[in-house]
Amino acid sequence: MSLASLLGAGKGAAMTSFFAPEFFILFLPLAVLGYALIPKGGKKYWLLAASYLFYWFVSGALIAYLLASTLTVHYFGIWLDRVQTEQKAATAELDKEARKTLKKKYRKKQLAIVWLAVILHVGVLLVVKYSGFFAVNVNRVFSAFHAPISVRVPKHLMPIGISFFSLQALSYVLDVYHGVVKADGNLGRLALFLAFFPSIVEGPICRYGQTAERLWDCKQIEYRNLTRGAQRFLFGMMKKLVVADRLNSFVVLVFNDYGNCDGGVIALGAVLYTVQLYMDFSGSMDAVIGIAEIFGVPMPENFERPFFSRTISEFWKRWHITLGAWFRDYLFYPVTASDKMKKLTSSARKKIGNHYGPLLAGSVALFCVWLSNGLWHGSDWNFIFFGMYHFVLILLGNLIAPPVRWINRKLHVNPECFPYRLLQMIRTTVLVVIGELFFRANGLLSGLEMFGKMVTEFSVSSFNRAFFEKCGLDLHDLAIVFVTVAIVFAVSVWQETRGSVRDLIGRRHVAIRWTIWYALILFVLVFGAYGFGYAPVDPLYAQF
Amino acid sequence: MEQLLEILEDLNPGVDYENCEDLIDGHYLDSLLIISLIAELEDAFDVTIPAVEIIPDNFNSAKRMMAMIERLRED
Repeated sequence: MSLASLLGAGKGAAMTSFFAPEFFILFLPLAVLGYALIPKGGKKYWLLAASYLFYWFVSGALIAYLLASTLTVHYFGIWLDRVQTEQKAATAELDKEARKTLKKKYRKKQLAIVWLAVILHVGVLLVVKYSGFFAVNVNRVFSAFHAPISVRVPKHLMPIGISFFSLQALSYVLDVYHGVVKADGNLGRLALFLAFFPSIVEGPICRYGQTAERLWDCKQIEYRNLTRGAQRFLFGMMKKLVVADRLNSFVVLVFNDYGNCDGGVIALGAVLYTVQLYMDFSGSMDAVIGIAEIFGVPMPENFERPFFSRTISEFWKRWHITLGAWFRDYLFYPVTASDKMKKLTSSARKKIGNHYGPLLAGSVALFCVWLSNGLWHGSDWNFIFFGMYHFVLILLGNLIAPPVRWINRKLHVNPECFPYRLLQMIRTTVLVVIGELFFRANGLLSGLEMFGKMVTEFSVSSFNRAFFEKCGLDLHDLAIVFVTVAIVFAVSVWQETRGSVRDLIGRRHVAIRWTIWYALILFVLVFGAYGFGYAPVDPLYAQF
Repeated sequence: MEQLLEILEDLNPGVDYENCEDLIDGHYLDSLLIISLIAELEDAFDVTIPAVEIIPDNFNSAKRMMAMIERLRED
């Protein structure tokens, strides 16, 4: 038996879920306990070791990708820093014009280093994530033209979380290039920033300036952080185990066997998949942010009650926030702030006004963002469609905004009144559900067929007892889902209008406080979808 | 400062730009207006505003924008 297999390399796939007993009963308490007991100077190394051990458990030999990414961005950062220092020394004594010329030369040098980092990271992603998709489509073209050739379809093992840590690594290099952060000479600190075990599987996608220092600083565990972190973790556990995992069998059945479902069932499948995805991903984010809170590290939020959004554009500012922010800062603004786009904006604004003028350059940038967003989620046409669907919706939203405002004014409709806002929220949710149907479908063709059935064959005749039995759900399950969604909804309404629910509970008498938390534990224990009859469900976003 | 206030008023009238401190966080300026604003500021003040400067901190008030322009001019 090899050392790797003895150490369980790659055997802890179940640990990718923070709610698997291996993780929250064994790994997490040991990691926290060790961190608390070790003297301050050693805590950071403990956290780094725990993070690499975790990744070794879930990825085995594929940990090499993480190591390579860390070593290369560390080197690129130092290289950029060296060029920036050279530039400062060389331009210190020059007049403004000469300084400008020399700066341009050094900028080019730095840009070459950045491109090298981008090509390396995006290149690895292209190979492990997209080469199979590319080969399949090349073969389709060959076969359409009856060409007697085909290319081999490569199969690469994709390291868990590569799409997340690659974006984090690139943001570090770009931030050093832009002078937002200083290059880090400390390899350990950079390694911990990229590998911190709660966030490596599903994000949130952090910036170096947000978490690196706090992680390396390693505060002692405090009672308040411990309890608040555990509360957040528990809330996420409820979302994931009680709702998301319970709905899985229904969703799998509808999406795999949609040919035998009528439009009504497919529509319900799309709605329940959207609920499942939200509960799964936001539940995992609650766990990540809760665990980080235990270690005293504030993590950026990834969700802000997205279903209260009035437009698709707003939805994407509230759903997977850190991914949207990454694309905004490193793709949208650089494209719109490029010389050509600025010229286009200036001239278009003079001709077609302040709203539609910038929309021209904005739509080019939006297209780049949504194509990348679709592809980031997966290598299939349905993901590209998903990206383009949102691109078109956001573009349309911007195009019709002025006439809608005009109509509202003419009809004396107050867009801030509650019924109007509610209608906007419902419309946004319906559009999101349609998008998620294509996102979850087994390929674009399946998505189109499902959508077609939903529109043209809307009935609920196949939605009967036999159907429930087939997917292993009964009315009792649906009632549990309904109650839990109602709890999450009530918490969201409070957060949206008043603020933190944990603060609210924290202000109550100790007996009330603990009753609430024990009730939540009991609720998860009794109604969580685990044990006999349930297969553990991997976090949905870990596959991206 | 007056020139900046004129540009802002021209782009999106009806906001108290002299005193408003949350132009981005308060959603008075959206990403499309920011695109226009950057093109206008570059023309008017002869500066280059790189993408990295497009952060709420630099655009939340007219004063912050002016400070950014002054800093970029000195560069």
